[in-house]
Amino acid sequence: MGDFIIQDCSLLAKTSGLAAAINLRELRDRIAVCSQDVLYHHFCETPLVPSFDNPDYRNDFAAWSLLQLGDRVLAEQLGIINPYIFPDLEKLREQVLEILDERLSEVFIVPSCQPGGEFFFTEAVTVVFDTGKRISSPKALPEAIGTMTNGSIYYHFFEARRREPVGVDDFSAWLDGFPGQEPWSRALQAVDFVFFTLPELRGELVRVLGKGGVA
Amino acid sequence: MTKFLSSYEGLVSATVLGELRQLGNRLAGKRVVHVNSTREGGGVAEILDWMIPLMQDVGLKAQWEVITGNSDFYAVTKKFHNGLQGFPVTISKREWQTYQEVNEENAVRLRPILEEADFVVIHDPQPAALLGLCPSRKGKWIWRGHIDISRPTRSVWRGLRPFVAGYEASIFSMCQFAQPLPHPQFLIPPSIDPLSPKNMDLNPEELTRVRHQYNLDPDKPLLVQVSRFDRFKDPLGVLEAYRLVRKVQPVQLVLAGGGATDDPEGQEVLDEVLEAAAGDPDIHVLLLPSDAHRTINALQRLADIVIQKSTREGFGLTVTEGLWKGKPVIGGDTGGIRLQVVNYHTGFLVNSPEGAAHRIRFLLHHEALRAKMGGRAREYVREHFLLTRHLREYLTLFHILGSREDASVIYI
Repeated sequence: MGDFIIQDCSLLAKTSGLAAAINLRELRDRIAVCSQDVLYHHFCETPLVPSFDNPDYRNDFAAWSLLQLGDRVLAEQLGIINPYIFPDLEKLREQVLEILDERLSEVFIVPSCQPGGEFFFTEAVTVVFDTGKRISSPKALPEAIGTMTNGSIYYHFFEARRREPVGVDDFSAWLDGFPGQEPWSRALQAVDFVFFTLPELRGELVRVLGKGGVA
Repeated sequence: MTKFLSSYEGLVSATVLGELRQLGNRLAGKRVVHVNSTREGGGVAEILDWMIPLMQDVGLKAQWEVITGNSDFYAVTKKFHNGLQGFPVTISKREWQTYQEVNEENAVRLRPILEEADFVVIHDPQPAALLGLCPSRKGKWIWRGHIDISRPTRSVWRGLRPFVAGYEASIFSMCQFAQPLPHPQFLIPPSIDPLSPKNMDLNPEELTRVRHQYNLDPDKPLLVQVSRFDRFKDPLGVLEAYRLVRKVQPVQLVLAGGGATDDPEGQEVLDEVLEAAAGDPDIHVLLLPSDAHRTINALQRLADIVIQKSTREGFGLTVTEGLWKGKPVIGGDTGGIRLQVVNYHTGFLVNSPEGAAHRIRFLLHHEALRAKMGGRAREYVREHFLLTRHLREYLTLFHILGSREDASVIYI
């Protein structure tokens, strides 16, 4: 197995060109037509975007439903969605639309936000660069993860799931190439990362790999 | 003053600084020119003051140019500023002509530099017309709008849009400010320099000296608003809030601001404030010189509560400054203040003098909560609004614009 190449990334948000949504119906209609990058940004790139952490929900649609529409039921339904279990973003979109359509059929009045509380659809461009650092053996992985930037953690643990092998983080995929590393690979894949900030996740990955020590 | 990235070790992690160097290395030697309309006064000048040397430190050939103009030009661009922020104004044909002529005069001087640059960043509307006056430009041109143009006076935006539309990209502080334009619009909130005279740590003796200098009573809670004397900063609303609080408890207020050379309305607003404050020894209206950074720093540190009761605000760097000094901020529920002030976490958003008075009283009655919110406020700024994040996003933007790929993930 070759060396693990430590990459880093920097993300820059931009407008999507879609009009802002002021109520639940507009949210539904915009999600139906937005690009996959927009969907991905509001579900998966939130750990890297400057905002005050909303500890309840990690996707922007759930947070908006709670904070601006005041719809707690919808917030709960959207908040529990794990975007990484879907085989592709179109399946994620289908699931979100299903929930929104169901909610729209239940409410008598379409929930709307106050002026200033509109939902703005954004997306991001990610610039990925090679840090020049390499990891040559699984033993060195925990220490290397412990010194990685938030950008590296995001790229190798979250963004990796969009790349081949789809749905798997880079660390696990790399460990799988070594004989006897399967337990550590499985342990990494079992980390429930949804409620971690990036610095917290870094600590958790080091802790998981440090348990008993990778061989 | 020369600045180096290494000076920020300890304030941010070594990995963050390493990341900036890596992004910079791959742009080494690229010529970047920033253009704005004032060397001193206002948030843009403060940002460029640190951004230029730090861009140089990571390997870019960065420089800062300032356009010059007469009083007629600044009167027109002040109207732009007001109109873009939604204040009803009318701009005559003659005034548009003045705008164009002053930009033409500046283009004669700046054209050789701008046309050769790899990246040109034009800040705000004043120099926006330069793009059309540099037909042999080689690099990528970016328009950076610092003000809140979410609901502009249509005639002003209609007139200005053709000057902006030709850029390769634009930058806004928040998505709320973006307008339909035929190019990508990136979102980069501004930031503060934690080592600048306005934000660096000060010793207690200096705080005591400033307290004496301005006759501030150490036994009375102190409210401080630092901002230019501008209607959108609502200094009269702050006075009203102060008076409502004063009815129930002793308190003192500092309204401190400097003039910016591109703001001809400042004196008029200052006169109104002085008239409204006359006769109250606990109101201190301070017109400070543009280099009084340490004094402003000291006043913010002496404050029990920092206020920024703007009715329109691009971002509100004075909010960031207050938060960085560990003060909860009571801010107008508008623009970039919403990105920074989070109710019960870093301060309170308010919509009226009455709302401001209510939250001032609340915070003055909850000292422990005030301290806790102040601690959170500082960490929030450390993570999101220091210059290192800001510099990284500019470098990222240059990589994106310099890339031949049009993809959501770019490998460099």
